[in-house]
Amino acid sequence: MKRNLHLHLGAALALATLPFATLPAMAEDSIAIGWVGPLSPPGNYSGGQEMQWAVQLGVDQINKAGGVLGRQINVTYEDTKGQPAEGSAAAVRLITKDNVSAIIGEFHSSVALAEIEEAHKYGVPWVGTDVWADAITAKQYPEVFRLAPANSLVYVKAADWTVEQGYKNIAIVAENTDFGQGGAKVIADELKAKNVPYTMATVDLNQQDFTPALLRLMNQSPRPDAIQMVIAGQAQYQLVKQACQLGLAPTAETALIGSSGLLQKEVWEVDGPCAKNLLIVNVAQPKSQWNDKAKDFVKAFTERYNRAPTGVALEAYDTLGVVIEAIKKAGSADRAAIIKAMEEIKHEGVNATYTFPTDKTPDWAFHQFKDVPFTIIQYTAENQSPEDAAIVYPKKWATTDKIAK
Amino acid sequence: MSYFLLLAINGLVIGLIFALVASGLTLVFSVLKVVNFGHGSLYMLGGYASYYLITALGLPSLVGVAGAMIALFVFGVVFERLVIAPMYTDKVERKDEYAIIVTFGLTILLTNLGLVVFGPFAKSPPSFMTGALILGPLILPYDRLIAAIVAVVLLVGLTVFLKRTALGQALDAVSQSRESAAVIGIDPRRMYTVAFGLGSALAGGAGALIAPIFAQSPSMGDLPAVQAFIIIVLGGMGSVGGSIAGGILLGLVQGLGVGYLPDPNRALAYTQAFGALLLVVTLLVRPTGLFGRSHLRLE
Amino acid sequence: MMRPSVAQWTQGLLLALALLLPLVSGPYWIHVGAIAWYYALLAASWALLAGYAGQFSFAHVAFAALGGYASALCIELLAFPLPLAILTAVLLAAVVGALIGALVLRLSGPYLALFTLAISEIFRLVLVAEEDITRGMQGLSVPSLFSGNSDVPYYYLGLGLVVLAVGAMNGLLATRVGLFLRAIREDEGAARASGVDTTRYKILVFVVTSVIAAIAGIYYGHFIGILTPNMAILPEMGLVIAMAVIGGIESLPGSVIGAVVVFLLSESLRSYGEWRFVLMGLVLILVQRFAQNGLFPMLEQLGHRRKEPLPAVSAMEEPRGG
Repeated sequence: MKRNLHLHLGAALALATLPFATLPAMAEDSIAIGWVGPLSPPGNYSGGQEMQWAVQLGVDQINKAGGVLGRQINVTYEDTKGQPAEGSAAAVRLITKDNVSAIIGEFHSSVALAEIEEAHKYGVPWVGTDVWADAITAKQYPEVFRLAPANSLVYVKAADWTVEQGYKNIAIVAENTDFGQGGAKVIADELKAKNVPYTMATVDLNQQDFTPALLRLMNQSPRPDAIQMVIAGQAQYQLVKQACQLGLAPTAETALIGSSGLLQKEVWEVDGPCAKNLLIVNVAQPKSQWNDKAKDFVKAFTERYNRAPTGVALEAYDTLGVVIEAIKKAGSADRAAIIKAMEEIKHEGVNATYTFPTDKTPDWAFHQFKDVPFTIIQYTAENQSPEDAAIVYPKKWATTDKIAK
Repeated sequence: MSYFLLLAINGLVIGLIFALVASGLTLVFSVLKVVNFGHGSLYMLGGYASYYLITALGLPSLVGVAGAMIALFVFGVVFERLVIAPMYTDKVERKDEYAIIVTFGLTILLTNLGLVVFGPFAKSPPSFMTGALILGPLILPYDRLIAAIVAVVLLVGLTVFLKRTALGQALDAVSQSRESAAVIGIDPRRMYTVAFGLGSALAGGAGALIAPIFAQSPSMGDLPAVQAFIIIVLGGMGSVGGSIAGGILLGLVQGLGVGYLPDPNRALAYTQAFGALLLVVTLLVRPTGLFGRSHLRLE
Repeated sequence: MMRPSVAQWTQGLLLALALLLPLVSGPYWIHVGAIAWYYALLAASWALLAGYAGQFSFAHVAFAALGGYASALCIELLAFPLPLAILTAVLLAAVVGALIGALVLRLSGPYLALFTLAISEIFRLVLVAEEDITRGMQGLSVPSLFSGNSDVPYYYLGLGLVVLAVGAMNGLLATRVGLFLRAIREDEGAARASGVDTTRYKILVFVVTSVIAAIAGIYYGHFIGILTPNMAILPEMGLVIAMAVIGGIESLPGSVIGAVVVFLLSESLRSYGEWRFVLMGLVLILVQRFAQNGLFPMLEQLGHRRKEPLPAVSAMEEPRGG
């Protein structure tokens, strides 16, 4: 009897202590920061990976230069898989176990919405990197800040641009997520207001064959003269390839406008010549506007990871940057002090100079960085990198006033 | 009318490819009476195997496909010997559950292993042939056409193999009745191994053929697996001919559904659900499948 | 008077540990524990459905989603008070569970698995597509049950639900129903021939387990604060299956322990990224290959073997065949 009890007790104890035993040992004096984002399915793991790399690059640079306030930075990375429950658990873990001063990152708005509840509960600053749903800042939690544009900020302008270009029949193809549906709705509302006819199609990120849906668009009368994709994941690559193989878009009759996933170099591997003439909404400054920091970052990132960073990497790097700036300004890594400092800082990052206003109209404007630089670019040659592509919007940065067809 | 034809031809072509994905599942079920819930991950593995054969070793595309099939055959044989074979001993009481759990475990294992090993970024081997065949109103990308032709060759080859060769006839005999096969001197266990190996090879071949059409990712097998489940149910669980018909039917239904359903916004989402609905209704109303054969085991 | 068995000792000890955990651990492990109870509810009820009754269903997480969404939508769209919303959701799950149970009467093994997989996918796709009602992939917000910031109330609520559910299911199994369910699983024809109303018991087990899954989903929705159709994806079902199988598919407490251990391990090994799930897949295959009754019953049996004479088998620890 005794023996058995020992056995069970042993098992039970092992069970109970295991989780605690694996606590990472942390240096007393380092500043802990938490990163959240998707690194595995069903999340958009390729975007998450780039964000994580950019942050780690920033951390290493800061630490090498002596840290902040004389303390080293220690970032704990949490894979939230695009699942709200994972995000909420990750946030609590970072806050209560790793005792982080701030949480940065995230790619999926639905996950962000779960995370900010925890951040709000515990009074921890949460700074979003690439989450677009209006609702995130519209909740107006004092802890929540966002570098990425709200859907309303970019897609209204993108829709206006398509109207200005004289497109008369627009097809919106959006993924069935917070980002896709939110963006599609913004575009649709804007087009409706301007009396431009449009059709909408929703796609699932797991889907692979869009050919029937594209054939349907092709046989619409009149045929759409622009297709706006609001898709973050890799489904976009398939759409481009299939639209091109059918001779639907990008062609002289129909333009194809995509979002930032198409900036990754894999677009050339998957889509090949089909990606030529593709238009892309890019949340980043054009190369001509890069400051020295941006040039250094792009160089360092490319050297270290053997691939060029896209917009999300720049945003991620800047997310870390603004938090570090706030810590410096606050003179401490205290959570409340960081929140207060975030409202006061003006941080020159690689992609923009950031401020976080406290005005509350429209509701999503609170703690929302508003001058998000964004361009619409067009690949004009095969295997072109995004920074060498033609810029067609906005006017002040445009390298051409003609859209290649 | 030309719109209908266009959708129908494209549906037919993709349906033939679906049928190839399902044929391996069908073969395994007919011989082992096991639904391989890891089929989608074998498909994924085949896609990556051919990708690396083509891009790293510089093999021609179709040789890469053949190489992937050989690699997956070996994988299938090893997995069957190590994990599935014990199912036929007395040690395993509840064979159906055992098979579902180990094959489903294989999916969890391989999908995540794929993510760690192959990385999160999309990959795609070069096209078999760029461009599209255009005949009047008909448009058909060459990649799909070639994949469909190879699929037909493989499916016909499989059928001939099962009917005409000694090994194929032995497999067929075991699929009809294990006991009678054993009586005439066929070792059913050997046939199980062969069938699982062939089924894996077919899954791998399908993944390799589709790789240039749809880009590759570690989770690329999830949806085709569900489609293959739908097809083998439609085809009557275990008949190769039935799964060819089932594949074509599913391809047509999805193509025409997306093309004609009234709300374009929901059409794409609901065609997927419609395939699953076909499965549900078939199992309820006609569990032997639409093209089922009579000796089906239904307990 | 029977002396408590080793298994009961162990379970009592683990329960005491679970009760005391919030006193000694920080908020993080309380939060993790509260999520673990969601999986424990699902794993235990799925073990009853698949392990005891032999109904290998892939639709179990869909029932959790059904419960969560039904309750949340009753509150949001119909302005039901919370208790009424929960009651409606539970009743709905019971009705749908009975319906599915009735539909699958003739199906077993792989047929049943495929059928329930398809049902689950259809339901998930409807949740995704009908975003005007469900908010699709954008996620449906669910109000909190308790005021205040602590997760402790949720932790104890979840623990209470697990204890209640396992107690209720064990109570059910201790009656003749348990015997009949096993008889149906071993040989349905023979059970029917000897006068067991197989239809009735099969439907009953679907109703009971669906209700427990729905309650788990309701609990989860309120705790996390947001529901998305992703809670019903196949990998989530895979997680529940892995938990139940690793813990012991024919032991309700075993499957609860399996759920907690698998979930805690996957949390503590986070720094290993996807390797955790590679490991989980591997363990799932190995456990099924070498220890089909799961790890915990195996540990217990090891204990018994060294002891003579064998103790009476308790109600919580079902005898193993073979």
